Amino acid sequence: MGELKLSSLNKAFGAVHVLHDIDLSVKDGEFVVFVGPSGCGKSTLLRIIAGLEDVTSGRIEIGGRDVGQLSPAERKIAMVFQSYALYPHMSVRKNLAFGLENLKFKRSEIDARIAEAARMLAIEPYLDRKPRQLSGGQRQRVAIGRAIVREPDIFLFDEPLSNLDAALRVQTRAEITRLHQQIKTTMIYVTHDQVEAMTMADKIVILRAGRVEQVGSPLELFDYPRNLFVAGFLGSPRMNIVRASIAGIGPEGASIDLGHGAVLPCDVDPAAVRPGQRVLAGIRPAHFQRVEEGGVPFVVQYYESLGTETYVYGALAETQEPIIVHETGHFAPPSGTRLAIAPMPGRLHVFDPDSELAIARRDAGQRRGAVHGN
Amino acid sequence: MAIKASAVLERLVEGVMSLVEIPINALERLMGRKRVPYLFLAPNLVLFGIFTFLPIAISVGYAVTGGTNLFVTDRPFVGLDNFRQLLSCQDYSRPGTCQESLFWTAIWNTFWFVGFNVVATLLVALVTALILNRAMVGRGFFRAMFFYPVLLSPVVIGLIWKWFLDRNGLLNAFFEMMGVPPHVFLLEVGWARFFVVLVSVWFHMGFYTLILLAGLQAIPKDLYEAAAIDAASRRRTLFAITLPLLGPNLLVVLILLMIRSVQIFDEAWVLTNGGGPGTANSFIVQYIYQMAFGSDLRLLGLASAASVLMGVVLLALTLVQLRLARKTEEI
Repeated sequence: MGELKLSSLNKAFGAVHVLHDIDLSVKDGEFVVFVGPSGCGKSTLLRIIAGLEDVTSGRIEIGGRDVGQLSPAERKIAMVFQSYALYPHMSVRKNLAFGLENLKFKRSEIDARIAEAARMLAIEPYLDRKPRQLSGGQRQRVAIGRAIVREPDIFLFDEPLSNLDAALRVQTRAEITRLHQQIKTTMIYVTHDQVEAMTMADKIVILRAGRVEQVGSPLELFDYPRNLFVAGFLGSPRMNIVRASIAGIGPEGASIDLGHGAVLPCDVDPAAVRPGQRVLAGIRPAHFQRVEEGGVPFVVQYYESLGTETYVYGALAETQEPIIVHETGHFAPPSGTRLAIAPMPGRLHVFDPDSELAIARRDAGQRRGAVHGN
Repeated sequence: MAIKASAVLERLVEGVMSLVEIPINALERLMGRKRVPYLFLAPNLVLFGIFTFLPIAISVGYAVTGGTNLFVTDRPFVGLDNFRQLLSCQDYSRPGTCQESLFWTAIWNTFWFVGFNVVATLLVALVTALILNRAMVGRGFFRAMFFYPVLLSPVVIGLIWKWFLDRNGLLNAFFEMMGVPPHVFLLEVGWARFFVVLVSVWFHMGFYTLILLAGLQAIPKDLYEAAAIDAASRRRTLFAITLPLLGPNLLVVLILLMIRSVQIFDEAWVLTNGGGPGTANSFIVQYIYQMAFGSDLRLLGLASAASVLMGVVLLALTLVQLRLARKTEEI
């Protein structure tokens, strides 16, 4: 069925090496999102799975069979393109039927599948229209419908929402998630939008410059980023990164010095650090809290009120490092206000400044899921 | 340095523009805002009038007058007599029974030429475009090579091929080397007609290939990827995706080809020594040329009447082409 296994996949366009030793396993029925900045190779990886690009080396298995030498049509996949790629001269019905006709399905079976897909996607009224007579959202549904009628083992989505406006994007996002719950087929979804990744995925694959940075469930990646890149990529606004050092290692574990005499306990593995070691501390804006004492002095520059939440922009008083603090509800500190802030317990991430990797935590053993990458 | 140069240029343009502004404003006050554009169109309209509209009018003038005088005003008015002479015929399919048998021979010759030439050029141009559209080595070279004949003068084309096909031409020299008896291609009706079409295809296909190639390259690549995922065979992709999407370009090429084919004259005239053998390659434009300038008789009336008739046919084809072009834009 829809399992996918990539082993030591490499892809080069001439001298340009775009994918490096990709290893990945996807279980049947999983919703996997490939996410990363533009040029990270996520679309190329998807196109390789589809069979639209060949690999330079490595192995691709779908449902246990090696599909490396098979044409896209033989791989039992269906793809939804960013541009939708609907055949402009064919009606919606004909667009949906085209693949099935090529596979020599019986007319009655074709009609039945089209009717079912049209019902599922609510595109029945448009079946006899041409794509140009449809809105962007309707075209999107037709493109998904064209994939559904094929009843593939794996659905591939290449940034399918990027041509929709913001409201429609949120709506379609939910519909694709619902569709996945309904048909329970493996879906692989490429996006550069971390919100789509967080909201839709069972499993996120973060790519950068042709390498897998980390694989895991959305919350795993959010809570336990493996390196600075993943930490910065997921979450909005971005995680605050400040220079810090290991203050000491005691019986309760290590403590970290955030400057200004603010020494806080942190849950790095005491064996992985030494006192005085320079590190980078990462704290998400929402994981700061205002404290009466023992916090880090923070000077407010300005704030953005969004009604239910407020983003306070400022800098650490001593080092002038820029910081964003998230507050729920209304909060209106005048510019120049000095606040004492501290990370919530267990919400402090510690990174090695040279390797940019997260320093092992004491609770590392409790973490679920695999961590991939170099 | 570059920034400075562009700044200077900008200043210069601004200066010129502000100089122009003064007379334009004056003109607008004088003539009214809406009439000023026509002032700018005027030079072109005058030239167009003298060299296009006036000749059309004069041509119609010749067509309804008789005699051998050169100046329209010196010629007696004969009404539709010239047209009557051209069109009077017992059996249009047998030119010999027509009053102007040469005219009808030319019409039928043109008719057959247009048929064969349009089909052959379209097919050759399409196949060439399909091949050139693939990623292949030396694509630019081949594209340039196929287009090259378009740049040549028709007379040069006619002469080159004549040297090639003549009794003592290159082809016969080659045959001789191979021990095949020589052939006088241009003196045999079938071969002569065949080579007129062949030369015309060779001459013009580059132009149409270019139009079709542009059309092919405008078809989004992801449609082919979608078709590949949709399990479409090569054949099915060609017939279900490529050709339908190339349809508007094919139509434009078809109409342009028809218009240009009806106008066949110079290269065929040179190649066949004036439409030979006999009148086998005598076409309408040649008839018009021969009537008007081919002898001392100067049958300008008859020639002009034939021109007007041909003009009507071409106008109809052009209107169809314009309509199609507009329709294509809507898609």
